[in-house]
Amino acid sequence: MSTHAHAAERLTADDWSGGTFPYHIGHKKLGMWLFIVSDALTFSALLIGYSYVRVSSDAWPTPFAFYPSIIFSTVMTLCLLASSFTMVMAVGASARRDRRKARRWIGATMLGGLTFLVLHIYEWLHLINDYGLKPFSLPAAWLERWPQASPLFGATFFAITGLHMFHVLTGVIYLGYIALRIRRKTHEDVEISGLYWHFVDLVWMFVFPLIYLLSVDFHPPVH
Amino acid sequence: MSTRFGSLGNLMKKQDLILNAVCLLFATGFVVMALSNVRRAGNFFSIDSLFITLVSLMLAGIFMVIPLLWAYENGVLKNLFAAEGDDVPAEALPVHFEGTTKLFLSILGFLLFLTVIEVFLAYVQVPLALMLTILVGLSLIKAALILAYFMHLRYERMSLVYTLIPMLVICICLLFIFFPDSFRIFNLRNYR
Repeated sequence: MSTHAHAAERLTADDWSGGTFPYHIGHKKLGMWLFIVSDALTFSALLIGYSYVRVSSDAWPTPFAFYPSIIFSTVMTLCLLASSFTMVMAVGASARRDRRKARRWIGATMLGGLTFLVLHIYEWLHLINDYGLKPFSLPAAWLERWPQASPLFGATFFAITGLHMFHVLTGVIYLGYIALRIRRKTHEDVEISGLYWHFVDLVWMFVFPLIYLLSVDFHPPVH
Repeated sequence: MSTRFGSLGNLMKKQDLILNAVCLLFATGFVVMALSNVRRAGNFFSIDSLFITLVSLMLAGIFMVIPLLWAYENGVLKNLFAAEGDDVPAEALPVHFEGTTKLFLSILGFLLFLTVIEVFLAYVQVPLALMLTILVGLSLIKAALILAYFMHLRYERMSLVYTLIPMLVICICLLFIFFPDSFRIFNLRNYR
């Protein structure tokens, strides 16, 4: 913490002449921003790969019925957006040095994340067990509805949503660690965990339309 | 002119000289590559030729950054861009948190509204190109709102935005290079 004070005292003409923070942020925060950009590129590569496979196939299954898939994924989206808001509130409370409030708001964020995970795992189990979807083969019922459909639906769906779920899970664990040790963490640490959580939400903003909303089942089979 | 050269010679240490020379050499090489493509390409306005030209120029630009930065730091370029009152000391790094709860609630409301529009759009059967444009467009707006307000980029230095966002956009554009292949595969398949 003393290096913060020293660096701040040596006021220079601009951010880049040394003795102060380039970009006016600390090194940990810059590191998190760079990680976020690199991770965003990973997700972009996966999503573009999925689009490539989908464009080049003759047929692509569109199996997401309103219940449970679309309604669940919409609720999941709302959960993540609300958890982003509670995270912003947590960072605000931390800026006011109100550690108890910050911990509560981080707890609310973790709750949103856990709800997302539970709903998403339910969706996965529904697809795997009830339909029999596998990464490289489609269920027989789907091959009847969409003949010549690409078998890669499972691979793209599970890879993208699985990697995102992994990010949500690590985000929840990270937030839990910050909340637990909040007395020893600086405001900057809370801000950095907030950045990671908002990144997770941001990725979902793209995954949700491209994977769910483009595969809506308009005539779901009546069970 | 001779004094200016003399002062340049004093400023330039041997390692700076080597670094600048190598970077200038590479930059010139890439510019020559771009120009030779312009001269030799049969049809300049094809994707392949435009791609080679643009990438060569971009690489030349990247290699030019180091000599230009050196020149700026050593006062060679500063006179071109100097303004009155440039030497204002920067503020210290305080704990700041700009934005009110009301602002964040309204951003959240707007995000939820855009999400609801997207879900409704999924059930209105518009042509695929239009649907994709609207979906991706709305998602970009949502991403920009989250980046600017929730992740506080709006309140950070512009230099951070300039460092992060163009890198992201350029790399995503590079990923799109292979996209035309998917259309080709679709059309060339002959065993339907």
